[in-house]
Amino acid sequence: MKKFTVGLMGLSLFFLVSLGISQAAPKELVLGCNFILSGPAASLGLGMQRAVDHATELINPKGFMVGGEQYILKPAYFDSKYVPAESVSNVEKMLAQGIKFVYSTGSGVSVPIVEKTNAAKVFQMSYASGSNHLTSDKYPLSFRAVPCNETAFSMYPWLVKDYSQIKRVAHINPSDEAGFTESETRLACARNVGYQNVANEFYKRGATDYYPVATKVAATKPDFIDFGGTIGRDQALCVKALRELGYKGMAGIGYSDPVAFVQIAGPEAAEGVILFNTITEPTNPKQRELYDWYLKKYGPPFLTVVYDAWDPVFMLVEAVKKANSVDPVKVAEALRTVRWPSVFGEMYVGLKALYGIDSTFSRPVPMGIIKNGKPVHLTTAPWPSDELVNKLIAK
Amino acid sequence: MSEQLFIQMCITGIVMGLIYILIALGITLIFGVMRIVNFVHGEMTMLSAFSMYYLFEVWHMNFILALLLSVIAISLMGIFFQRYIYKPLGYDILNVMIIAAGASIALKSAGWIIFGPVPRDIATVFPGMIRVLGTPLSMERAAVALICVGLTIALYIFLLKTKTGKSMRAVEQDSEAAAVLGVSIDRVHAIVFVIGCSLAAVAGALVGMLFAVEPEMGGEPLLKSFMIILIGGMGSIPGAIVAGLLLGLIDSFTETLLGGEMAFIIGFALLMLILIIRPKGFFGYEI
Repeated sequence: MKKFTVGLMGLSLFFLVSLGISQAAPKELVLGCNFILSGPAASLGLGMQRAVDHATELINPKGFMVGGEQYILKPAYFDSKYVPAESVSNVEKMLAQGIKFVYSTGSGVSVPIVEKTNAAKVFQMSYASGSNHLTSDKYPLSFRAVPCNETAFSMYPWLVKDYSQIKRVAHINPSDEAGFTESETRLACARNVGYQNVANEFYKRGATDYYPVATKVAATKPDFIDFGGTIGRDQALCVKALRELGYKGMAGIGYSDPVAFVQIAGPEAAEGVILFNTITEPTNPKQRELYDWYLKKYGPPFLTVVYDAWDPVFMLVEAVKKANSVDPVKVAEALRTVRWPSVFGEMYVGLKALYGIDSTFSRPVPMGIIKNGKPVHLTTAPWPSDELVNKLIAK
Repeated sequence: MSEQLFIQMCITGIVMGLIYILIALGITLIFGVMRIVNFVHGEMTMLSAFSMYYLFEVWHMNFILALLLSVIAISLMGIFFQRYIYKPLGYDILNVMIIAAGASIALKSAGWIIFGPVPRDIATVFPGMIRVLGTPLSMERAAVALICVGLTIALYIFLLKTKTGKSMRAVEQDSEAAAVLGVSIDRVHAIVFVIGCSLAAVAGALVGMLFAVEPEMGGEPLLKSFMIILIGGMGSIPGAIVAGLLLGLIDSFTETLLGGEMAFIIGFALLMLILIIRPKGFFGYEI
């Protein structure tokens, strides 16, 4: 009886221990996503949310090892509504919850939080322009996950090479953080490749009527209008207004869903518009896989921001694995050494020449055009060297 | 400033002013007769635009039929609000204002959930361009301007000449005296809401065709409409017309010459100035 009792206890202990081991839950690395999930720019946040969710689905079945412990990624979503105060409040909530990694969208809501995240030693990567207000040696834990105004360093040399008819350039941007930084960079690039900047106009984001700004810009007779930090419907309505006012020159838009752009602007108005930093159609197996998954799960239209939002999640996980730590400072250091085969080509963290610290995710820049009412891939412009960046940004 | 630019700014201002007037007329009519502010008006324009998008653009219904169905749907929604939400509140201006503002936010949020974030487009039924005083103008803008003028004149004639219009004006001036004279106040309230919401529905269809269809589309026109109503005078149709054209022109000139932010600053500065000098607006009543 005594033997039986001891045996039973031993067996119970074995099951208890083995059960405990088999059910040891992996640790969670929480990624606080400060995305625009409502309001006029919600398509940006929604696309990013879907990309992050899918990346998590692929990463988590195997997880990743850090210091001998298994981790999984857990996104936690916060709606910034593209309102700076909401964004700051979101980050305060994240800090209170002990979140150490933040993924943010939109310059107007990412710049206001960078002081807070860096002071709290929290890692921040943002889909935002914001120039050195967002990334500089003052903010070593802040990264620009998607090149924004920086794509101008690839676009302008390509324009000079392929479109010799351009001499006069006009700039249209929203009157906010994104618009001002985009305008500053693009004016410098246009000037330094030899173009004459004939207009630099700002409009209120989400305005109803674009005839006033279009009237003013069309009157300066540009050959090319750079829409810089303009997004979504604003681009389409402004291009439509310009064409109605008789503007026949070229235009360039980024941050765009080209299909929705053509629908709103109309095929005639949209014809010939350059799509900078835009994957118009899948051109490699990685893009195709992502594109097909999206359409299967959500149906058309495909939100092109999914491409942009996708790889930074994997880059972050690679950096965590390389740092073998979840300490944001160590992860930030490790991230600067990661090379990742992204959907755009090789991706790494660069632009020390511009910001004094490697801080901007850098990769080739796809260029497209609206042809016969459809977005078509034109070429992929290489990421600029530090020397070229210095030349293009010179005062 | 070139002559061409001046003409362009005038045309742009008049067209936008007329669209704002169309939205403002519905609000000012409801306020004039019932003394309530219907904040849901902007969302009614948005829902009408989405209704047009699905009926006309997706299901390829005839434009006029789609517009008619949209007007009916939004009018029914208006009657629902009038009968089941505002009436139980006794048409108390403050309570209605708070409830309507809440309903407006709720409808906008529902719009995001139901329709999603991607903006849609209603294809124009007025293609092509014309020239006005040598300045290009799209046919759809010209047509929208004419429709707005037509509806404004029609409303004015309706209020002045028809028995129902006279009943509405009687209720507007003194509802108790009108009731004593046999005017059915409930019926007048329902008609006012049907007309006001119909104007919102038509405005939604036109704004959707000119610009884009999205859940936030009612916000800025509604804000401008309130500015128009306050400048023109709460409840005054001539006031709304004068103020609408004035604000449209100010918007166009300041946005073109000084930038989009300045248009709001100057518009609000004008509003404050008028309210200080003449608190009732150009042709308004005591609130």
